[in-house]
Amino acid sequence: MKSVVHRLEWLVESLGGLARLCILALVLLVATNVILRYLFSIGPVALQELEWHLVSPIALLGLSYSMKHRADVRIDFLYERFPARLCAASDLIAALLTVAVGAIIAWLSLAYVNQAYNLNEGSPDPGGLPMRYLLKAFIPLGFLLLVIQGIADSLRAIARIHDPATDLAPENKLSTETSA
Amino acid sequence: MIAHEWIVLGMIAGFLGLMLIGIPVAISLAVSGFVAGYLGFGTTLFSLMPARLYGVVTNYTLLAIPLFVFMGVMLEKSKVAENMLETIGKAMGGLNGGMGLAIILVGVLMGASTGIVGATVVTVGLLTLPALMRRGYSNSVSCGVICSSGTLGQIIPPSLVLILLSDIVGESVGALFAAAFIPGLVLALIYMAYLLVLGVIKPETVPAIPASERDDIDGTTLAKKLAADVFPPLMLVIAVLGSIVGGIAAPTEAASMGALGALIIALATRRLNWPLMKETLHGTLVITAMVFFILLCAQPFSLSFRGLGGEQMVHTLFEMLPGGEFGAILFLMALLFVLGFFLEWIEISYIALPMFLPVFMNYGTDMVWLAIMVAMNLQMSFLTPPFGWALFFLKGVAPPGITTKDIYLGAIPFVLLQALALVVLFQFPALVTWLPDTIGW
Amino acid sequence: APALVRAQESKSFNFKMTNAYPPGSPFYVQGPGSPTDFCNKVKAMSGGRLNISHFAAGELIPALEGFNAVAQGTVEMNAANAYFWAGNIPAAQFFTTVPFGMNTQGMMAWLYQGDGLKLWHELYEPHGLIAFPMGNTGVQMTGWFREPIESVKDLDGLKMRIPGLAGKVYSELGVSVRLLPGGEIFPALERGVIDAAEFVGPFQDRRLGLHNAAKYYYTTGWHEPTNVTELLINKEVWDSLPKDLQMMIQMAAQASVLESLSWSEANNADALKDLVENEGVIAQPLPEPIVSRLKEVTDDTLASMANADPQMKKVYDSYMTFKKKHASWAALSEKPLLNL
Ligand code: NA
Ligand code: NA
Repeated sequence: MKSVVHRLEWLVESLGGLARLCILALVLLVATNVILRYLFSIGPVALQELEWHLVSPIALLGLSYSMKHRADVRIDFLYERFPARLCAASDLIAALLTVAVGAIIAWLSLAYVNQAYNLNEGSPDPGGLPMRYLLKAFIPLGFLLLVIQGIADSLRAIARIHDPATDLAPENKLSTETSA
Repeated sequence: MIAHEWIVLGMIAGFLGLMLIGIPVAISLAVSGFVAGYLGFGTTLFSLMPARLYGVVTNYTLLAIPLFVFMGVMLEKSKVAENMLETIGKAMGGLNGGMGLAIILVGVLMGASTGIVGATVVTVGLLTLPALMRRGYSNSVSCGVICSSGTLGQIIPPSLVLILLSDIVGESVGALFAAAFIPGLVLALIYMAYLLVLGVIKPETVPAIPASERDDIDGTTLAKKLAADVFPPLMLVIAVLGSIVGGIAAPTEAASMGALGALIIALATRRLNWPLMKETLHGTLVITAMVFFILLCAQPFSLSFRGLGGEQMVHTLFEMLPGGEFGAILFLMALLFVLGFFLEWIEISYIALPMFLPVFMNYGTDMVWLAIMVAMNLQMSFLTPPFGWALFFLKGVAPPGITTKDIYLGAIPFVLLQALALVVLFQFPALVTWLPDTIGW
Repeated sequence: APALVRAQESKSFNFKMTNAYPPGSPFYVQGPGSPTDFCNKVKAMSGGRLNISHFAAGELIPALEGFNAVAQGTVEMNAANAYFWAGNIPAAQFFTTVPFGMNTQGMMAWLYQGDGLKLWHELYEPHGLIAFPMGNTGVQMTGWFREPIESVKDLDGLKMRIPGLAGKVYSELGVSVRLLPGGEIFPALERGVIDAAEFVGPFQDRRLGLHNAAKYYYTTGWHEPTNVTELLINKEVWDSLPKDLQMMIQMAAQASVLESLSWSEANNADALKDLVENEGVIAQPLPEPIVSRLKEVTDDTLASMANADPQMKKVYDSYMTFKKKHASWAALSEKPLLNL
């Protein structure tokens, strides 16, 4: 079971790595656009559009990543008073609901992405970026990853209901001390 | 068929219930929204969902979120904030309440360059709480100062709260930044005045640093150190606010100047390396995604709320209120304050606020002023026991001697001071509107 | 049979209309001849048989998602401008406005009496859509400039907020095009992040406060000599409507064109007078050499775009032929009169 959990989370972590790179790219891109325009009056439409195109992978690939690193905001007023098995049960409900929400949204958005693909939708501005379906495809992808993280969390919770001492801790290479 | 009004009430109750049993806020929102929408309309309502989600992740204004978070996390990880605090503290040492004033000043400085609560409270808490306790500050005063200083950055521009509010009320980010500037300083001054008064009437709660400790360092060295440690954060303030005023960047873009500035500071102080970068990107992604998680999952909730006529219910409620615009504002403030007990500011902004806006548009209320009143109120919610975020963060890093009761007791005077600030803004709206009007924003 | 007819006549319809413009926008959302006014008209005309609930941008879906939503049938109608769909159908922009194209009279003549409306319907048919004009702002202004523009050289390196086709034409002349959402235009222009900004016309621009950020208001409406509001309807829904309701929609839309246009003309006249007399705005046409250079580039750009896209070519040819015909008539009828 442990290896299944870790294999699922490896996927979340890897695509999270891509999102981390997008953040660095975003910082450098927006700063570059500002400086290029101020100093040289250069501002290609495609580079301006790329700014907000980068937010989509950051936000959507980051969903499951933040859940994996337990940065999902929850109110632990009662939770912290629960006995261990009840905590595990609460975690299981949370994980199963996550799977459901992720699956519904991923399914709902497939037709939406497909429509953009069939239209070959692009930017209405000349010089803008083409292939909007790629941008839109991050919606089902991000929520599918959420389903995967939800499955991993469900397995973890089931193990703890079975035996509260089990701890299928996520393989964290990075600290999680920074949480909003 | 169940009446739509009952489904709306059930949706809200379900949301609160799920949260109480420990389900993450975002998931609670989405689940209650989907269930209520399904009960009311079957699946028809949800075909609109993907377009709304796409709207959230491609919203130009929200571009500033990862940029500001990056700046804040980088400042924390590269220990810039830590050095600044230590030096200002020493400079203020001789005065009763001096360390407290130093903490407020650091909050203002950090607040003027970034706008995320967590980083500041955690950093300031880790660094100063043990020192304050050692120097004989009362536990509750220490906790109150740290939490309130750490949340100042939300009202002092630039700030995430203001960016989201500008999107909601449809005013420019620049106008809200300008409008929040004076109120933010007023609040910091009220805090400082309180500490000075405390230093006179209850000096034992806020003692000065003992002379022996201050003598370790002479005036010139201190002045040099002060210049060296306060310089980098000041540069960031100039980079962000200066690039807007100086015509280099539009308000949303200005966040990138801060992020770039934080990167350059880390480079200049030779702290930038790949592990630090990786940790910063990790921290930024986790916080940014957490914000977007809630924004995205709020979509099924707000769509169902709108579809089921929830807005109409709110309007009816407002129409029943006595006192016209004044009554409505009073009610809104009271409601936000109560919601702040158990809801996070992002949900309050994105779920509760849009319902009320049309009412105030009808009254012709100044939207910039209203947004600042709301921001000040949300700011208060960060500090309000039992669910204030700042209080949670501090508890997370507090040494064993500090109890939850210390933190709650410490926060209460500052919550009252914020309420005072709110009354001041209500009585003197010019404090909000003067700056944006003068510069024409 | 008579009973059957009556049954169909009394059947009522509840539609949703989304809008590309934010809540409260005058002309685009509320006011005489606006989309909300259109919904009220249809409801009154049909005695409540056709009930259209209006949702401004962001209330149901984001601003520019109307095309996809109506095509999918998630909402029945949308109010916007056809040039917003240029990313889906490049030829669609001809049904809003064409740089150096026809004025409002000519555009209406082409749409209603020429092949315009027919071509529009032909273009949208494969997407399961049908569209009608539902409003017009009239001519739009070149925009607000922080410094006077005296020669083509002054455009080189100029930072301007200008979306769409006109942006492409300007960029050929060295302008650096900046895309900005409505709310950020003012602070950016006021602080000099951009040197110039195009928005709509005197009434709407004054509402945004642009005159407090830049004083030179160039008035030559070369890039948008007219501007048609589009009523977009799901084709299947349209076909399912009884003939009388179809007719009411068309008539209410035509009434909205007339009302919104006259509303714009009246308000723009007042607003421009106020801007010049009370706000120190310097309103003037662009110098002739600049206009001719812009026209050269526009003509080339349009021609090469038309050659690259057969759908666009067909619309372009019809539009240009009509424009030529209309221009020679107007040159002898309207033009001499306007100089008086
Ligand atoms: Na701030
Ligand atoms: Na325009």
